[in-house]
Amino acid sequence: MEIKRRDFLKLFSAASGAVILGGCGFDDTFALPDELLEKLKKGPGIETWKNTVCRLCPGGCGIRVRLIDDVPVYVKGNPIHPVNQGGMCPLGLNALHLLYNPDRVRSPLKRTGKPGEGKWQQISWDEALKTISDALVKLRNEGKAHQVSFLGHNEHGLMHEFIARFMKAYGSPNYYQFSSFQNDGIAYSLVQGHSQIPSYDFLNATLILSFGANFLEEGYSPIYYTKLYSHHQDRGTRYIQIEPRISLTAANADRWIPLRPGTYGALALGIAYVLIREELYDAEFVRTHTHGFEDWTDRSGEKHLGFKSIVLGNYYPERVSEITGVSSETILEIAREVGVAQRVVVLGDQGTIDNTNGTFTLMAVHSLNALLGNFEKEGGIFFIDVPPFGKLHTILDDVAARTGNQQKPIARPPDDTFPLTHFSIESFTKNILADQPYPLSVLFLYKGNPLFQTLNQHDFAKALTKIPLVVSFDSVINETSEYAHLLLPDHTFLEAWEEISNVPSVGFSHLSIQQPVVAPFYDTKHTGDVLLELAKRIGGTVAASFPFEGYQEAIKLRMKGVYESGEGAVVSEGMKKLWLEYLQQRGWHAGRYESFEGFWDQLLERGGWWNPVRKQRNWNAIFQTPSGKFEFYSSKLKTAIESLIKKDGGKSVSQSMELILNELNISARGDSVYLPHYEPVPYEPDMPLYLTTFQVLPNRDGEGSNLPMMQEMFGYSRRQWWRSWVEIHPETAAMYGISDESWVWVESSVGNLKVQVKIVPGIMSHVIAIPFGMGHTSYGRYAKGHGVNPYSIMRNLYDVLSGKPALEATKVRISPVS
Amino acid sequence: MVNPTLDKHQELDATLYRPIYETGKGFYITMAVLVAIILWALYMYSTQLREGLGVTGMNQPITWGFYIVNFVFFIGISHAGTLISAILRLSKAEWRRPITRMAEIITVIVLAIGGLSPIIDLGRPDRLLHIYESGRLQSPLLWDVTSITAYFTASTVYLYIPMIPDIARLRDRGGKLKWAYTFMAWGWQGTERQKRVLNRAINVLMVMVIPIAVSVHTVISYIFSMTLQPGWHSTIFGPYFVVGAIFSGIAALLIVMIFFRRFYHLEGYLKEIHFQYLGTLLLVMSLLWFYFTFSEYLTGYFGAEPHETQIIMYKFSGPFAIFFWAMVLCNFVIPVVILSFRKFKTIPGVLIASIAVVIGMWLERLIIVVPSLANPRMDLPLGIYIPSFVEWSLFAGGIAVFILGYMLFAKFFPIISLWEIEEARTEGIREVKERIHKYLPGDEDFQESIQTIAKP
Amino acid sequence: MPKWAMVIDLDKCTGCGACQAACKMENNVAIVSPDEAQQGRVMFWMDMIVTYEGSYPNVHEKRMPKPCFHCENPPCTKVCPVGATYRNEDGLVGQIYHRCIGCRYCMVACPFTVKVFNWKAPKWLDGKLECFNPDVSRRMAGVVEKCSFCAHRLMNIKEEADREDRPIRDGEYVPACAESCPADAIYFGDVENKQSVVYKLSRSYRAFRVMEDLGVEPNVYYLSKRVSW
Ligand SMILES: Nc1nc2c(c(=O)[nH]1)N[C@H]1C(S)=C(S)[C@@H](COP(=O)(O)OP(=O)(O)OC[C@H]3O[C@@H](n4cnc5c(=O)[nH]c(N)nc54)[C@H](O)[C@@H]3O)O[C@H]1N2
Ligand SMILES: Nc1nc2c(c(=O)[nH]1)N[C@H]1C(S)=C(S)[C@@H](COP(=O)(O)OP(=O)(O)OC[C@H]3O[C@@H](n4cnc5c(=O)[nH]c(N)nc54)[C@H](O)[C@@H]3O)O[C@H]1N2
Ligand code: SF4
Ligand code: SF4
Ligand code: SF4
Ligand code: SF4
Ligand code: SF4
Ligand SMILES: [Mo]
Repeated sequence: MEIKRRDFLKLFSAASGAVILGGCGFDDTFALPDELLEKLKKGPGIETWKNTVCRLCPGGCGIRVRLIDDVPVYVKGNPIHPVNQGGMCPLGLNALHLLYNPDRVRSPLKRTGKPGEGKWQQISWDEALKTISDALVKLRNEGKAHQVSFLGHNEHGLMHEFIARFMKAYGSPNYYQFSSFQNDGIAYSLVQGHSQIPSYDFLNATLILSFGANFLEEGYSPIYYTKLYSHHQDRGTRYIQIEPRISLTAANADRWIPLRPGTYGALALGIAYVLIREELYDAEFVRTHTHGFEDWTDRSGEKHLGFKSIVLGNYYPERVSEITGVSSETILEIAREVGVAQRVVVLGDQGTIDNTNGTFTLMAVHSLNALLGNFEKEGGIFFIDVPPFGKLHTILDDVAARTGNQQKPIARPPDDTFPLTHFSIESFTKNILADQPYPLSVLFLYKGNPLFQTLNQHDFAKALTKIPLVVSFDSVINETSEYAHLLLPDHTFLEAWEEISNVPSVGFSHLSIQQPVVAPFYDTKHTGDVLLELAKRIGGTVAASFPFEGYQEAIKLRMKGVYESGEGAVVSEGMKKLWLEYLQQRGWHAGRYESFEGFWDQLLERGGWWNPVRKQRNWNAIFQTPSGKFEFYSSKLKTAIESLIKKDGGKSVSQSMELILNELNISARGDSVYLPHYEPVPYEPDMPLYLTTFQVLPNRDGEGSNLPMMQEMFGYSRRQWWRSWVEIHPETAAMYGISDESWVWVESSVGNLKVQVKIVPGIMSHVIAIPFGMGHTSYGRYAKGHGVNPYSIMRNLYDVLSGKPALEATKVRISPVS
Repeated sequence: MVNPTLDKHQELDATLYRPIYETGKGFYITMAVLVAIILWALYMYSTQLREGLGVTGMNQPITWGFYIVNFVFFIGISHAGTLISAILRLSKAEWRRPITRMAEIITVIVLAIGGLSPIIDLGRPDRLLHIYESGRLQSPLLWDVTSITAYFTASTVYLYIPMIPDIARLRDRGGKLKWAYTFMAWGWQGTERQKRVLNRAINVLMVMVIPIAVSVHTVISYIFSMTLQPGWHSTIFGPYFVVGAIFSGIAALLIVMIFFRRFYHLEGYLKEIHFQYLGTLLLVMSLLWFYFTFSEYLTGYFGAEPHETQIIMYKFSGPFAIFFWAMVLCNFVIPVVILSFRKFKTIPGVLIASIAVVIGMWLERLIIVVPSLANPRMDLPLGIYIPSFVEWSLFAGGIAVFILGYMLFAKFFPIISLWEIEEARTEGIREVKERIHKYLPGDEDFQESIQTIAKP
Repeated sequence: MPKWAMVIDLDKCTGCGACQAACKMENNVAIVSPDEAQQGRVMFWMDMIVTYEGSYPNVHEKRMPKPCFHCENPPCTKVCPVGATYRNEDGLVGQIYHRCIGCRYCMVACPFTVKVFNWKAPKWLDGKLECFNPDVSRRMAGVVEKCSFCAHRLMNIKEEADREDRPIRDGEYVPACAESCPADAIYFGDVENKQSVVYKLSRSYRAFRVMEDLGVEPNVYYLSKRVSW
């Protein structure tokens, strides 16, 4: 820990342009926080810096917090952290305002009024925990342990393991994550056999072809990608961004290609068409490492069409142009550029998956990587290793746990929907409302705001009111926790221990230690510690599965494994010298440690561990499919869909298949179903405009809304402060006689909302875009009552395979507000 | 022996004393209304003091609004008085006599209001004295402070000195405020020496006041033209502002004259001829104003410097276009039409033209201040400025102060210089005759004859 | 005598706005209420200028972060009646908040619209949101403020260099915006030191200054391959 003594009073009295304090009297607006003032009076302030991790998005940036006499006053990037190397985004820089937020929950609360009424009663931790443990013990004794569900957010690492451990030991199969990276990876799992999100070697690539992955603004780690992007000039990398609207990424790309929402799949396959036709693909890779490219015959002698035939037969440029709105010339141009470039990375992300055809679309996009032989290649895509964590004690179980765990999970979708997922918020809601397969008795909500973030909010709210005990772990009251019976305040990340590892798509194995930079301000508890306490109170095998003194001890146990493995930062294949040199200049090094304690201290002082060297992988580890290859023709998908057929006794297989596909709303037939293909989105024909959404850097999915500075910066690039806006192309605006900054109604078949217009040339005509994140009805004084939530007018549609909400599947009309 | 002319004169002059000694109901009602408006404005200002300038409609980038517009406008009006009266005096225009004081009062009251405007506009009026503690003479704002202070002082003195003989009359008539009149009359007895000193003082002041007055508005124009802002950065701004100032000053003076003529029954003093003369002057100024405006915009437009052109086009066709064209109408079309034709150049006609010009000149100030600020050079969106209720209130307050100030002045002092009128009747006529004969060829010996006549 | 200058590489800058946020946090720049914000009174010492170029579909969106240019020949300081904005001995254009009378003349005079004004008392938001950097004084209602090039940081560094009796090293004095820029697009240093990064970059063929024809000599250089800024 660096300590600098500085005479602050001297500093105060010094005269320089920016550093002059007002006197008293009229200038009394100068006010230090009380603590700080008290401490300052005592004399020179002591400046310290503490390293931790930013948790305001999944990005995993290392941060340094500046403390004066132990009062946090500033946050900046940790220059030696490999993910962000000192860089920050606006949201992370504003982290202290979360800590100091006046709307934080200061002690456990019990709801006394109706949801949303804001009537809460303060209770003690003991009382709260007793209520919960009593309920849990009772259910367990009655053999209803499975009636307890835990709905998390996208926690991974130790917290994920902790919750899973608790649920397993207690005896419920119902731990879900509202937005897990696993769910994001379903399309990958179909073609590559595992759902790990790839990392991309941007530094060595010569061309980045992004299908709506807004990696500079959203993406899994925007700052990591911004760092990579910043080398584009000296590395000569070209960026092409395909999406209906100029996002931050498109603004920085060398070329922006607008296309109709929901048609990425078609464009990807149109590019595949040119690559195949002009033989610009990696034939060697395709031959040895893919399955289903050429036409083939299976073991039973059945003939199957290959990817090649399907693409050449269906996705010729003229047709693709008609579907996507991208001219044939442009398709040829990009395809040739892709084919000729040495090292190309093709990627998609939420923008690609957030539609009814999302899984198929991402399959199509990812198949370009296979065509180009991009796997495990310099300037291509690759997968990183899990850090060598120490193992925690085994989970013990008893009869109650075993019977509970064997029950059918409550979120499992009905047979005719979403065959690839074990959790869809839609099925979860429906099943709770229908008591299917059993009623839900207790629901834990952790760190997330599904009610604000989902379609069909009305039903989800109803489901929440139906559950006898809803417990929310949260630092503030948000839309979802308004429905909780008990609110157990969590620390903010600046007050809590956590271990964050392997942020998806970051190019090396890494972990960061999140350590408290201040003692908790209020009577809050770490959710990990609460689970521990609950386990103790339940006793028996549940308690025995948690033999830790506290959450921090569990982190240390995991870190021991890392220490003992002896692995650490050496040269990376993925990122190459340039970056490593850069890191070394900044003092990032592993060092040698005398003991685990030494390693631990270093870890806390520096903020993280990484291993830029990847283990050699064989192709079976890269492609964990039945064929051990990249599967254009997805056996997994075939199995999943065919498994639905068997249950439908009586009819012929083909009849039954027809029925199933109809029920799933899949329009393709035959082999196409299992191959990447373009599945049209069921847009309403009578609505003229496509509605798309996007997220802005300062706000995230809506989480930044309780930070006033982020509300102010919400539309910083459009000069829109504290409000939503709708982006409209000048032509579209002219068509409807709409002027800049005027108010319009945006109307869909579901509802309408009133919002102000921003005319921008950077959007397709006939497409409008509303940022996501505003329109809170709860979540504190700064969030509430500003802007609109586009969810309120979205149709209740989901990806036909994964059950992910389809965010781009709504069409609307607009009219000026008279 | 009773001199009938003298009697008639005394009777006439009595109308000048009447408002001082008789107070009608109308006076009190008007006063009450004005005071109410002023109190309201003060209250509004107090909210501004408490909450900051945020209560106005100003913002970034339009950081100057009504207050600065009013500042320029009021200071412009102030040229009505002292400058006009000084010029008329200097040029020995005999018809000036009933007008000068009225004009000078305008100057003093309006200068006070105008001078307050930038103080009202300050974010930190409590720090006003910093101007003296750490003032920088390099700042055009300081030039302003200096020249406005000088002008105010000079104008006040210039108003006061010629009032002394009249105050002495009031003192001599006795009444309630005798002590005050005694004090202000400064021991005036009308001796020859006193008369000489008085005349000397007036002569010195009137010569002094002209350059000061010209400098005031030039310097106000410098506030703008010393910056690099397109639309402001113009070399003709100095004379342009001065012309505009005199223009609006004359208009204001005409309005005041017509008002007093009607309500204080001064038809005997303010005759058609005064309005004809001043009307002609107004017409000349209108043409001059147009000439300057035309030059200003033509050079700006012809140069086609992008930012300059942008602002000109913005004024012509943007959200301020309506004000721009209204300004052209009020400052040029209306006065020129009315004042060029004998048929329209009646007193009501002159009144209409004058009101138009006052409004037009206010719009001109608005058109100068706001559009330049609304169009930042950087690629920022256009600024929008909607004056707040507080700003309107303070504007109304300013006008109320003006009317009230005038009314109060008229309550305590004759608004037409009695002694100067009298002087005209005696010495004036003689002097004019003498002067005319001086000009006339072949009348050289008349000089002597007149002197002999004059001798008792 | 060093001449401090900033170079912003627009080819690297993504327009993420981190510099804006970092600056606000570092310099205790007030957050105005939503109503005030709608009236155009938001306060950013580092602003963001967004423009579009080209016609659909070949549209380019360009973003340009804009601090105070710390002009060599600043029109803003010339007009100040009380010397509350001035070029200090380090060549930085500073604001003396307790002297400023709030006439806003300097705002009007700045050709780049960089200054902001405290239209209302900068009431920091409710509760504990008062956290702020003790090195930078907070402003009061009615005064003008703007980017200071993080002058307080220079003071600390000068002190340190003085103590160690050495000149300030290149890259030692880094303002908050530069420090947090995720694209490393902001460089800062002594533009007269031939060894400095900023010196080299400011002489790059990509370098330009905004509205050079005005002759105010900004000390902020932009780098861009595209010429038409
Ligand atoms: N329209 C639209 N909807 C979307 C998306 C979209 O792009 N557009 N994206 C979808 C995707 S990909 C995702 S990942 C989800 C994200 O949806 P969520 O997982 O719900 O994420 P956030 O809205 O960010 O919710 C974060 C919440 O966590 C709570 N919180 C913050 N800090 C803490 C803490 O320290 N401890 C605890 N216990 N709680 C804390 C706060 O109450 C905050 O509301 O949204 C999905 N919904
Ligand atoms: N700053 C910030 N960072 C984040 C988050 C955040 O909220 N804010 N959230 C985090 C999380 S949980 C996630 S899952 C990721 C999500 O990160 P992304 O996947 O990058 O985000 P999305 O908002 O889903 O989509 C990105 C783009 O898709 C485009 N788009 C619109 N319609 C369509 C369409 O029909 N098809 C396609 N292909 N594209 C379309 C939009 O222009 C939008 O810019 O970001 C993570 N990082
Ligand atoms: S990207 Fe921003 S919000 Fe996300 S972790 Fe990094 S600094 Fe925090
Ligand atoms: S932080 Fe850097 S990349 Fe982001 S806007 Fe500022 S200069 Fe550009
Ligand atoms: S950019 Fe503007 S505020 Fe900054 S020094 Fe130059 S003129 Fe002054
Ligand atoms: S606003 Fe303040 S700094 Fe600016 S010119 Fe006026 S007194 Fe000087
Ligand atoms: S140099 Fe400092 S004050 Fe200026 S914009 Fe950057 S962070 Fe803000
Ligand atoms: Mo997500």
